[in-house]
Amino acid sequence: MKTLKVLLIEDDMIEVMKLNRAISSLKLPHKIIEANNGEEALELLQVKDNIPDIILLDLNMPKINGIEFLTILKNDETLKYVPTIILTTSSNERDLIACYEIGIAGYVLKPLKYEEYVSKIEKLLEYWSINELKKI
Amino acid sequence: MSQDQIDILKRALLREKSARKQAEKILESKSAELFEVNLKLSQANKDLEILLTRTDSQLQGVFENIVDAYVIIDLNGNILKMNDAAVSLLGFLDNKEDFNLLKMVQSNENERVTAAFTKLLETGSITDFHVNIITKTNESKIVHINASVIYDQGIPVAAQGIVRDITKEKEDEVQLIRSESRLSTLILNLDSGVVLEDENRKIVLTNNKFTEIFNIQIPPDSLKGIDCTKASEQNSVLFKDPEAFISRMRAIDAKKEIVIGEELEMKDGRILERNYMPIVNGDQSRGYLWTFKDVTLNRTYRKSLENEKQKYYNIISNMNLGLVEVDKNDVILMVNQSFVNMTGYSKEELIGIKGKDLLPFQEDRELMDEKVIERKKGKTELYELRIQNKQGETKYWLVSGAPNYNINGEFTGSIGINFDITDIKNLQHQKENLLKKLEKSNDELHEYAHVVSHDLKSPLRSINALVSWLRNDNEDKLDEGSLENIALIEATLEKMEQLITDVLQYSSIGAENLEKTEVNINDMLNDLLRILYLPDHIKVNFLNKFPTIHGNRTKLQQLFQNIISNAVKFIDKENGIIEITSEDKGTHFQFSIKDNGIGIDKKFHDKIFKIFHSLKKSKDSTGIGLSIVKKIVELHQGSIWLESEPSVGTTFYFTLKK
Repeated sequence: MKTLKVLLIEDDMIEVMKLNRAISSLKLPHKIIEANNGEEALELLQVKDNIPDIILLDLNMPKINGIEFLTILKNDETLKYVPTIILTTSSNERDLIACYEIGIAGYVLKPLKYEEYVSKIEKLLEYWSINELKKI
Repeated sequence: MSQDQIDILKRALLREKSARKQAEKILESKSAELFEVNLKLSQANKDLEILLTRTDSQLQGVFENIVDAYVIIDLNGNILKMNDAAVSLLGFLDNKEDFNLLKMVQSNENERVTAAFTKLLETGSITDFHVNIITKTNESKIVHINASVIYDQGIPVAAQGIVRDITKEKEDEVQLIRSESRLSTLILNLDSGVVLEDENRKIVLTNNKFTEIFNIQIPPDSLKGIDCTKASEQNSVLFKDPEAFISRMRAIDAKKEIVIGEELEMKDGRILERNYMPIVNGDQSRGYLWTFKDVTLNRTYRKSLENEKQKYYNIISNMNLGLVEVDKNDVILMVNQSFVNMTGYSKEELIGIKGKDLLPFQEDRELMDEKVIERKKGKTELYELRIQNKQGETKYWLVSGAPNYNINGEFTGSIGINFDITDIKNLQHQKENLLKKLEKSNDELHEYAHVVSHDLKSPLRSINALVSWLRNDNEDKLDEGSLENIALIEATLEKMEQLITDVLQYSSIGAENLEKTEVNINDMLNDLLRILYLPDHIKVNFLNKFPTIHGNRTKLQQLFQNIISNAVKFIDKENGIIEITSEDKGTHFQFSIKDNGIGIDKKFHDKIFKIFHSLKKSKDSTGIGLSIVKKIVELHQGSIWLESEPSVGTTFYFTLKK
């Protein structure tokens, strides 16, 4: 299995803990890079080494929100090739449509139950680890 | 013989001698006289001969130069001789032509002509004989003939005649008769009563209308000769004021001057118009012409017309619509009080100016110019116009403009009826603004609901994760009670999650622009039953095939899901049965979902559709489900109600627009 470099953009500390714990409990080899918000993520992405295989993006964040971040990302000649998967609690259809319009690789709703969350993350990472991605 | 004797003898001889001489002398002179007479006689004879010849030629001249046609014919009618007038009258080329005059007679006159000819021969002449002839040039003419027979030593040898063309005369005569009869018919049937009197006021002519007006029972002809002075005195009783009538008539009669258009009121309410006209020939009075006309109707018409006019005038000036009349060049001719009030300008300020220069809002001038052109094309239309009144306020008018024409149908300008709709317009603007605001706030509310729900749901997820870790990390340390409590926390979290989801859903319905498609309810229900949790003891039966509905698939599915879940939740029987049917109700389809659950008490039927009105406290009931159902039904222009019997079951009915 390919080892993925995953950028998690998430302002909620517990959400970050959830992903980390899920990956470790699943014993997956993927590398998680954390950014607390869009600004921080953009800063990180300035460094070429930090450019991930996929991005997991939360929508509701302070400062630059998810959609704004996505827009910036998709307007960047290099970064626009990074598949970005929305990971959110918002089932707002407008958000969903807006995201797909700008260009996303997936839209995953965070379930209430942690067990379900782990299962979704497992499938998501499994899927992306079998995908061919553009080398940056 | 005595001397005396001798002397006597001598004297006698001498006397004889002188006597003889005297006799000789007388004889001589007589003889000379005779010769002279003889001479004179022969001269006279000669003169007579000359005179005769001259007369003859004179006659010939007369014959030739006579104005009327002169013709001599033999006793068979063949022309012997005729003058130039005859040649032209009868249509010959010259007077040498041989022709039998009888051939010219029209066949239907043959008998009369033969009789006249016989009479001519018998009596020697005929006079004033009229006959129709066809001339040589084929013209039909009426001629007048005087003719006599010419005798030679007592024997008739020929006939001579003077022929006059009286065609024109005859025609004139006929025409005169005709026009006379026309005139008398006209007078007889004139719409005015006419009386023509002679200078002694005796009736010469009157007509039917006159007898009709004065209720005279005898025909107009029989009134001739009647004395008008007396007759009118008798008739005066017909008038409202008989004495005034008579005195006025006498005054007119005395003055003998034209009187036109005097009105007389009659007792029976009629009004007569009287004209008087003396007829004068030179300086001499020839009589008087009186005419009477019944003008009652005209007067009444005029009066009612004036009343109507006044009425409409009052309506126009008092109506709440501004009325303006303009000429071809848009110059104001007339305005009513309302128009004055609406514009703030006085009548004097308005009349004579061009309406479009003064009133319209700057931006609407072009529109106004357009409308003036439309009017000229004869178009009538309704449009909105903004104007600025004298106070500088902008007013909205609804204008109904129509072209104006004169009696001859020529375009003379237009009439505009203006209604101030400023208030309505303002309300409309207000409404539009409100709607916009509402839309915006709805939108914001929608966004807000999502944000709130996100913000509420996130901590739930965190709690859930944390509790889950707590349990997993301490599985062997926690006792059964703690584990149960942790399970309770998880269940509570789920309920909260559901509550948030439902509230969000409820607030979302109607806030979004629903995309509507043709939804096949059969397919939709089959899909739904596949994902819906159904306990084994409950069966869902479709009692018929379902129609296709124009609606939002997601919402419709939710509608059925909520009702069916509700039924499932409240079925307390060992064998639960849910039956779904549909029925065509014209514009709508009616669905029913029947269960054999616990039933709902009648007093709660209305309440259950209200939000947060769960009848039964249960761990999986938020009390929003049926509120959502009602909203969805209303979104599809339907209604929802139920029939239920506690402990027997409930049937939900709802309709959806086709």
